Amino acid sequence: MNRVQNTKIILWLITGFAAAVGLNRFIFGLGATTNLTDSTPWGLWIGFDVMGGVALAAGGFVMTAIFYIMKREEFHPLVKPAVLTAFLGYMAVILGLLFDLGLPWNIWHMIIFWNPHSPLFEVGWCVMLYSAVLLLEFSPVPLEKYSRYAKIRNFLMKFRFVFVLLGIMLSTLHQSSLGSLFLIMPFKLHPLWYSNILPIQFFLSAVALGLMMVAFESLASHWLYKRKPETSLVEKLGKTVVWVLSIYLIVKIIDILAAGEITIVLNGSWESFVFISEIFISIIFPIIIFSVPKMRRNIKAQWIGSFMVVFGMVFNRINVGGLTMLSITGDSYTPSWMEITISLGVVSAAALVFLFVIEHFNIWDLKPQDPESLPHTAPSFDYSSHAWLGTPDAASLTKFSLAFVLSFAVGMALMPEKKLHGKGIEEITVSRASGIERLLINGNKDDNLVEFPHKEHIARLGEDQCAQCHHLTLPRFIENSCWECHTNMYKPVDYFKHNWHASSSGANIKCDNCHVEGVQRESKSAKNCVDCHPKYDFNNARFIGSQKYFAISYTDAFHQLCVSCHFIKADELNKQNLTECKSCHKVKIHDQVAENLKWKTTLPHFNSVILPNIEKEKNQSEMSKDEKENINN
Amino acid sequence: MESWLEFAKGPLFRLTFAIMLLGLIRIFMLDIWGIYKAYRKAGDKNMPWKLVLSRGLEWFFPVNRVARNRPFYSTFSTLFHIGLLVVPIFLYAHVKQWEKSIGISWITLPFDWAYWLTISTIVFAIALLMGRMFNKSSSFLSRKQDYLWPILLLIPFITGFVCAHLNVNPTYYQFFMLMHVLSGNLIFILIPFTKIAHCVLMPLSQVVCTIAWKFPPETDEAVCSTLNKKGAAV
Repeated sequence: MNRVQNTKIILWLITGFAAAVGLNRFIFGLGATTNLTDSTPWGLWIGFDVMGGVALAAGGFVMTAIFYIMKREEFHPLVKPAVLTAFLGYMAVILGLLFDLGLPWNIWHMIIFWNPHSPLFEVGWCVMLYSAVLLLEFSPVPLEKYSRYAKIRNFLMKFRFVFVLLGIMLSTLHQSSLGSLFLIMPFKLHPLWYSNILPIQFFLSAVALGLMMVAFESLASHWLYKRKPETSLVEKLGKTVVWVLSIYLIVKIIDILAAGEITIVLNGSWESFVFISEIFISIIFPIIIFSVPKMRRNIKAQWIGSFMVVFGMVFNRINVGGLTMLSITGDSYTPSWMEITISLGVVSAAALVFLFVIEHFNIWDLKPQDPESLPHTAPSFDYSSHAWLGTPDAASLTKFSLAFVLSFAVGMALMPEKKLHGKGIEEITVSRASGIERLLINGNKDDNLVEFPHKEHIARLGEDQCAQCHHLTLPRFIENSCWECHTNMYKPVDYFKHNWHASSSGANIKCDNCHVEGVQRESKSAKNCVDCHPKYDFNNARFIGSQKYFAISYTDAFHQLCVSCHFIKADELNKQNLTECKSCHKVKIHDQVAENLKWKTTLPHFNSVILPNIEKEKNQSEMSKDEKENINN
Repeated sequence: MESWLEFAKGPLFRLTFAIMLLGLIRIFMLDIWGIYKAYRKAGDKNMPWKLVLSRGLEWFFPVNRVARNRPFYSTFSTLFHIGLLVVPIFLYAHVKQWEKSIGISWITLPFDWAYWLTISTIVFAIALLMGRMFNKSSSFLSRKQDYLWPILLLIPFITGFVCAHLNVNPTYYQFFMLMHVLSGNLIFILIPFTKIAHCVLMPLSQVVCTIAWKFPPETDEAVCSTLNKKGAAV
């Protein structure tokens, strides 16, 4: 197989894999697929797909400005691919955004419900208008192939200059407005990346990135299709980019100096390391490569230089878009493999469309061709499977679709089961209460405990009234404790344990021992527990929802039991404070825990959290007589 | 064994089911694409669409030309197909699994129906296999996969029957259930790549046959000359 086919198969594999993940994202939601949290709502998808995608599309407006406005005719071969990249880049941005939006079906809201104060409103409108303009700007190219659309094409060609101007205007606005988006979060963005002139920095870097993206594409298509390299054009682009990058560097240096942040650059933190490496990769190395004439003409140096700018500038967008906010919010966010897959999938899909368009329409003067799908290639057998895959074009369809299907299936299989069904409520196995006469109930061991005067409740209710609270169901126990069945702090649990009963390593019982023979096997048609466990006493027990085989959570069990009784007693005894939360939840925190919390509050992200009033545990001896009486009563 | 069962019911099932579903869509689309290509190249573009449609529908009905020649075979085959499709799709336990994992459910088979349909499918599958083995003209036409397929299809039905209707102890239950799930998964993977793909390609078969006769009369000679075998029989 040749280079083009191999590349396409890899791209189809990635796209198929990402499609499976994407399907799960839309069925099961963001929580099931991403590592995003409330304090880090913008992750890889925004930083890479949206911010990076917009920046990569900058080639469109840069090249049209150079060709149509500055009248540099020699760049003509690069204009169409640049506009195509811009269009596909924006499509990728919209696709990436649909994945990231919590309610993607509401994306049309910005058209009707205007909020002119919001920078996102400006960004949204820019994306929408510019995508439409790019479509109009690019559509004459595919229409060229069909004579029946000649009228539409001529009409579009007549207004081409208007579209070009609109495109340049909207794109300029949009590139910088992505920067202004971050002006409103000076306390969230790291100072090295935050600046009052962020819109200007974004615009300048977009120009440099646009130039180099066009160069990179030209080089990549030369490699892929073994085309004649456009070395002289790339060389001219390199010459221009040196100027743009130099201006960008000067602006950046002045900005850092004026803000007095030079010490932060050199303080050796990971942010300073990221900042310095970003500057070197995206600005300084490319300037060196493209200002030496001998290197500028060398195709390998062109590869390295253009890749450095593309990588470095996208890295900058990721830094601004979320990575460097982590140092302020104190969060730890690593993109999940599913986020990475979807990002790669969006890029691969865009690349596939790009390859399709350049192979089928006149983007370059000489259409690049996939050597295996030429119409006059002799049909051949596939060497790996010894199968005849059909005529050349059908053979590639067969291969690519198989790659997509197989990787989609692998993607479905690799979905982690827990993620699929959502993390849901945290699972905390409860620990039993301690103490004898006075129980300390602290199921999740967070030291926010409830002190329960057990002996006094017995004295008040009467010695024979255990069943008012206890189920009295388990055999070999005079009374059973709450934690034995309500084993989870916040989740209902299956106390019947069907799988254990039916497992050879558990009770090892045959199906028909419990289920009635000849009827559908389900819980309705099963025998009652007492039929096998005669010692279980359900008649004397307080028992709620026995037929469901579910024990409510530890918290719910206590709240339902205690609160309902407290309400009755409050009316009976006319003691209204019995119904208050604090009548049971007397927060007592040990010194060690208080110390831990004190340390935690020094973390930056804790500043926004309001902690409950910490009442230090008082020694019995320090209590006044009234307080002691209160507790005893 | 329990963890193997969990794996077979979870990730492995998702893998094989996705391969089957998308694989069937894939070959259907590829077939349509091939038909479109052939139609574009065909010299005679007058397709008898009505005839194609009526012939295609004829094959869906159990009583057709085959029924006249081989009445037992066609009856058995029809009944076997009904059980083969209805039992896995509408079985109560299967629908419950779908409901538990993605929350979608549909009507289910009554318990007795499921019981008798499973038995009938097993019986008819064995009968068809015997017919293929002992009928001379059938066995002459058969390939290896024609014998293996009925056997493979029998495994999930027999193991499923044991699990759902017989009273076995947990060790055997888990063994049979594992066999049931694994053989089902194997069937899912094989469907789009073997003759079972007729489940979606069947409606297109008449179109393909008709189009084959629509090329210009010199086509066969052109094929021979391309293959450097001028004058040879096609």
